[in-house]
Amino acid sequence: MTQPIRVADLAHGRSGDKGDTCNVGLVAYDEAGYQRLCRELTAERVRAHYGDLVLGTVTRYEMPGIRALNFVLTRALDGGGTMSLRSDHLGKVMYAWLLRMELNGPERSGA
Amino acid sequence: MKTVKLGAGMAFWGDSVRPAIDMVERADIDYLCCDHLAELTMSILSKQQQKDPAFGYTRDVLDLLRGALPTCLDKGIKVVTNAGGANPRACAERVIGLAKELGLSPVRVAVVTGDDIRDDIDRLMDLGVPFTNMDTGEDLASVRDRLTHASVYTGCEGIVEALEAGADVVVCGRVTDIALYLGPLIHHFGWAPDDWPRLGMAAAVAHAVECGGQATGGLYAGGWQDVPGLETLGYPIAEVSDDGTAVITKTPGSGGRVDVGTVSEQMIYEILDPGNYLTADVTADFTGLTLEEIGPDRVRIAGATGRPRPDTLKVNMGYRAGFVGEAVFSYTWPDAYAKAQRGLAFLRERLRRAQFSCEAEIVEYIGHNSMWGSRVPEPDDPELMEIVMRYAARCSTAAEARKVFTECVPLYNNGPAGVAGVGTRPPLKELFALWPCLIPRDHVRQSVQLLEA
Repeated sequence: MTQPIRVADLAHGRSGDKGDTCNVGLVAYDEAGYQRLCRELTAERVRAHYGDLVLGTVTRYEMPGIRALNFVLTRALDGGGTMSLRSDHLGKVMYAWLLRMELNGPERSGA
Repeated sequence: MKTVKLGAGMAFWGDSVRPAIDMVERADIDYLCCDHLAELTMSILSKQQQKDPAFGYTRDVLDLLRGALPTCLDKGIKVVTNAGGANPRACAERVIGLAKELGLSPVRVAVVTGDDIRDDIDRLMDLGVPFTNMDTGEDLASVRDRLTHASVYTGCEGIVEALEAGADVVVCGRVTDIALYLGPLIHHFGWAPDDWPRLGMAAAVAHAVECGGQATGGLYAGGWQDVPGLETLGYPIAEVSDDGTAVITKTPGSGGRVDVGTVSEQMIYEILDPGNYLTADVTADFTGLTLEEIGPDRVRIAGATGRPRPDTLKVNMGYRAGFVGEAVFSYTWPDAYAKAQRGLAFLRERLRRAQFSCEAEIVEYIGHNSMWGSRVPEPDDPELMEIVMRYAARCSTAAEARKVFTECVPLYNNGPAGVAGVGTRPPLKELFALWPCLIPRDHVRQSVQLLEA
């Protein structure tokens, strides 16, 4: 039995706020994972994955020396930390939604 | 090569003061740098100052110094903090009072001001500073009468001046987090204030440590299960070399871990474009950043650089933006989700009958979708043991927000069965919105005053 590979299998992450902008950073566990994330995690795919959690744009930045990708999500925190009605008004767990994203094959072997 | 050791003492207002006290006792640091201010903090502090002119700073700094100041003076560790918030002068006077109470003398406390422009807005607008909202392009006039504060994210010049004057404790208002670290470094190494590559590298080092335990295993998504001693997490220490690179480590004998994983995760925290990390003192470039483990709990950080600082400084303005009314109810099996939905419909109908109006509202089911909202499918487990319904609304007046409470109270007795977990009347939360804007740096001048105990 196989299950789809997720971003969480290749990277860990952290997210936070700057006003109504949320940044989601990913750090790949190894170079192969980083290269794969660079190929597959386009700003467009990430934007679609967040759906209506993000009302603005998604921009991607690369930090190859630490195998990190940084996604900047605008209008993503319901007005920003001081105004947001969300439980996660500071965007602290927004990264976990990206870790859930499924990647295109090949699939990994499951238990 | 001689290094200078900077310890991160606080990451936010209300943070535990124990890690800083442990650090000054166990580590041989030169500076303890404490960041107490988040985006919203200045609004809250300004409100406190309006109620009582003796307040307006983060009072946790006094708990910190009560524990740490005697050791700092003994060991020659200087403390640099932005705990002054909206009222650095009052904060410094309280620090002097504390030193006297503890019988410490001599203690020189510097006050760095110049960030607070709330009384200068008209003059500055006459000089042609529009304070247009950077995000929305709106004119300041739309919120001018509701402003709570206006503070410029100022740089490290005042801190350098205070340290040159021999200060033991430097109390600032809204200086940037990064300035708390660049100030001691420029003072110690005598770097030129336009040595951009060095300052850019040092800004990366400051970013690595400024959030305290987030660099040493706190919130570590890359393997939180394996981080030892979270309860006694040690805060990070940067051993900085003259070229601006550093080794990141932590308090000896403390919990937590410093490795490439934990430091990497902090490096991508709350940054926008890593090639343009804007600070008041330098435009840093983290693109080429590298991290290398050189020993247990020791990570070498290098590869960042910098370019000239921006001509404008960011202003943190806040304005009153209404109130939040909130209701939280828990429902039990059987049919927990259906009950919660019926409870919500009950509340909405009661609010309609009370002619309730709001600017925005949210419904969350805690334990199910409170983090990712509509991205989470509806619960379909008939055996669901419980669910918590949370309703919150943003209203322009306190009276309107209070209706959420009064209209949800009948859910105790008159709504669907199986309700629990209802608390007492929650305090209404007043909202402060941020008004991000810019000011040319020529209009901002820091000044330093020295107090002595």
